[in-house]
Amino acid sequence: MSDQAHVRTEHDLAPGEEEQHSVGERVIGYVVGLALALLLTATSFFIAGTDLVWQPSIPVALIVLAIAQMGVHLVFFLHITTGPDNTNNVLALAFGLLVVFLVVGGTVWIMAHLNQNMPPMDQIMPMRR
Amino acid sequence: MLGKLDWSAIPFDQPIPLIAGAVVLVAILAVLIWVVVKGHLPYLWHEWITSVDHKRIGVMYILLASVMLLRGGSDAIMMRIQQAVAFQSQGYLPPEHYNQIFSAHGTIMIFFVAMPFVIGLMNLIVPLQLGVRDVAFPTLNSVGFWLTATGALLVNLSLVIGEFARTGWLAFPPLSELSYSPGVGVDYYAWSLQISGVGTLVAGINLVTTVLKLRTRGMNYLRMPMFCWTTLASNLLIVAAFPILTATLAMLLLDRYLGFHFFTNEAGGNVMMFMNLIWAWGHPEVYILVLPAFGIFSEVVSTFSGKALFGYRSMVLATMAICVISFMVWLHHFFTMGAGPDVNAIFGIASMIIAIPTGVKIYNWLFTMYGGRIRFATPMLWSVGFMVTFIIGGLTGVLVAVPPADFMLHNSMFLVAHFHNVIIGGVLFGAFAGFEYWFPKAFGFRLDERWGKLAFWFTFLGFYVTFIPLYIAGMLGMTRRMQHYDVAAWRPWMLVAAVGMAVLTIGVICQVVQIVVSIRNREALRDRTGDPWDGRSLEWATSSPPPVFNFAFNPDVRGEDAYWDMKAHAKQQQLEHDRPEYQDIEMPRNSPTGFVCAFFATIMGFALIWHIWWMVILGGIGAFATFVVFAWRDHDEYVIPAEEVARIDRINIEERRRLVSMAGAV
Ligand code: HEM
Ligand SMILES: [Cu+2]
Repeated sequence: MSDQAHVRTEHDLAPGEEEQHSVGERVIGYVVGLALALLLTATSFFIAGTDLVWQPSIPVALIVLAIAQMGVHLVFFLHITTGPDNTNNVLALAFGLLVVFLVVGGTVWIMAHLNQNMPPMDQIMPMRR
Repeated sequence: MLGKLDWSAIPFDQPIPLIAGAVVLVAILAVLIWVVVKGHLPYLWHEWITSVDHKRIGVMYILLASVMLLRGGSDAIMMRIQQAVAFQSQGYLPPEHYNQIFSAHGTIMIFFVAMPFVIGLMNLIVPLQLGVRDVAFPTLNSVGFWLTATGALLVNLSLVIGEFARTGWLAFPPLSELSYSPGVGVDYYAWSLQISGVGTLVAGINLVTTVLKLRTRGMNYLRMPMFCWTTLASNLLIVAAFPILTATLAMLLLDRYLGFHFFTNEAGGNVMMFMNLIWAWGHPEVYILVLPAFGIFSEVVSTFSGKALFGYRSMVLATMAICVISFMVWLHHFFTMGAGPDVNAIFGIASMIIAIPTGVKIYNWLFTMYGGRIRFATPMLWSVGFMVTFIIGGLTGVLVAVPPADFMLHNSMFLVAHFHNVIIGGVLFGAFAGFEYWFPKAFGFRLDERWGKLAFWFTFLGFYVTFIPLYIAGMLGMTRRMQHYDVAAWRPWMLVAAVGMAVLTIGVICQVVQIVVSIRNREALRDRTGDPWDGRSLEWATSSPPPVFNFAFNPDVRGEDAYWDMKAHAKQQQLEHDRPEYQDIEMPRNSPTGFVCAFFATIMGFALIWHIWWMVILGGIGAFATFVVFAWRDHDEYVIPAEEVARIDRINIEERRRLVSMAGAV
């Protein structure tokens, strides 16, 4: 609905709706994003198999790379910025992160306590008699 | 060729589903033949099936919900009768049939009654309240509706072809795994929910975007009607929670179809992970349902008290608080899993905290009524009935949120009474209040008040007579989902509950009669002004039913209760100011995308259930092709010329002038 009547304040734009740069600039933005994403992906695959780094650091490195990957997607493809025209999107992102944190964190915590009310196994065995 | 499908899938030996199925089939065929013979097919196709008008889609959602309410209600009647007679005997329903009925009942009532009812009302009303011409994604909206209908169709299909799940409405493993449920029942359940879940997610995205992005001039967040706020909160929850359901069911399906071991007993699967995930969706889900109902009550209470909503800002805050806290309590559904005192205590406390914003809301409604000039029209009756009933349901909720108490009451009839108490007393009463309140807006005539009030009183009383006994039976130790029992102490309460069910049924019949009577008398009940209840928000500023474009001019909003304001000003100025120049309006074109998509989704869902792989591929290709065709179309809008807009708008203005001058004369 391209309707002149639902006016938007300029602080209320959807991603990709910000004032249009020239096509060239936009293409460069996407290409940079793609390059970064590819670089991060390649690094992850490389790190996972390598023995050049201290082995226990590999999972941490993978997590860091994954988070960086999300950041690249958000900035270059979903056009999340910190500008005032992006309040809605940043809030939505924050809500999403909060939910993910609650559900994942809660799940890990709950499942770690799964067997709290079970008597220890070595006591069960003698009880069997 | 046909996978697992053969003649043994039709339950020739079970008369009840077969006869029920045959009756429904004949009814559908009769309606279809009538439609075709009378030449209504083009009208239905152009005006409804392919419509992308949010009002039409909303009405279709509500129609779907109403039809499914009758189906789910029949299941309920059968279960109540079974438990009334199955004392020290097998009753009339064999266990495998009884188990299918309670599973279908829960699934249908939550996913295909409560959800479409509230989504339908939101679709119908929110754009009007925001003062805009449509939702953000009109065609997507239609896709969402038709996918929901696909899910409902598949569930009903299971009545005559194959069987439905016997696992309860959440299909807990390991019972729902292949080793214990080898039939197609769980597959019917899971694929219906996967397909309709996509529809729900789409509806959620659409409504969130609509509230955030499409508001008329001056409609800033803190001027939005309460129903728009609760719509926002509820749909944010949909967007956040439904993917969890989809992922969980996908894992269950992987277990069943491809031999994975997410939730199996063997090979490192963990059934408790299913409980955890399904309730991480399940608790937000109950607030997805009840928040819109809270919004409806807010509108109704303030309209029929003739006062602005008391504590509007605290109401907004309470709504958003519930939105967040509802993600922090899910473990209260499995306290007895044994996660230990720390975990149980934290989640128990969080569950009690969520009752606080809910309590704030109750007080706000009470203070809105306090000192108001209250009119007890039918929507208001439902709202007051809700307040009384929901308080009881909320209190029993807080009770079972106390872990030690829950160890006694978990999965007892007490729990069954609790959630029916909040879902019937909250969601269903809300849906009915909204239905009675906005019916004139949707169809241009009011509903008969006398039958409406009768329907309310029978439903209200019937509810208590049915469910108070279940609380008591639960206290006496009766567990849920019993096909038969031998304990004499429970028997009288089951008999009382069956009587209550009969009273409830009378309530439903009254509601049907009300609609029939109102359609008959529609000329006398005609709402010419568009504002039958002396409303406060913008949906009443346009005619009933509204034109396709809702508003000739998008209204200017200067404060809360936008339309009430306008009326006050208009009375002073006698509607002197003329309207500015009319302009052409562009509206989205109708599109069969939703219907065609759902058609292929139905084929694909059915084929997946029966392992007919070539048909799965066919359905998948069809659905994808539909999407491509839609994405490549050129003309997605049509123009309503300014003269036409002017003509329609002038009629409305004339009627309103008359109303104002009459009010002035009094
Ligand atoms: C005052 C807030 C509420 C609290 C503290 C609360 C608490 C609880 C608890 C602790 C349970 C689990 C009991 C058990 O399994 O032993 C439960 C079950 C349930 N509640 Fe509530 N509840 C509240 C409001 C609601 C509302 C508003 C709804 C729906 C609109 C709702 C729907 C349900 C459902 C459907 C179940 C049972 C699901 C099942 O096991 O099949 N509750 N509630
Ligand atoms: Cu809950």
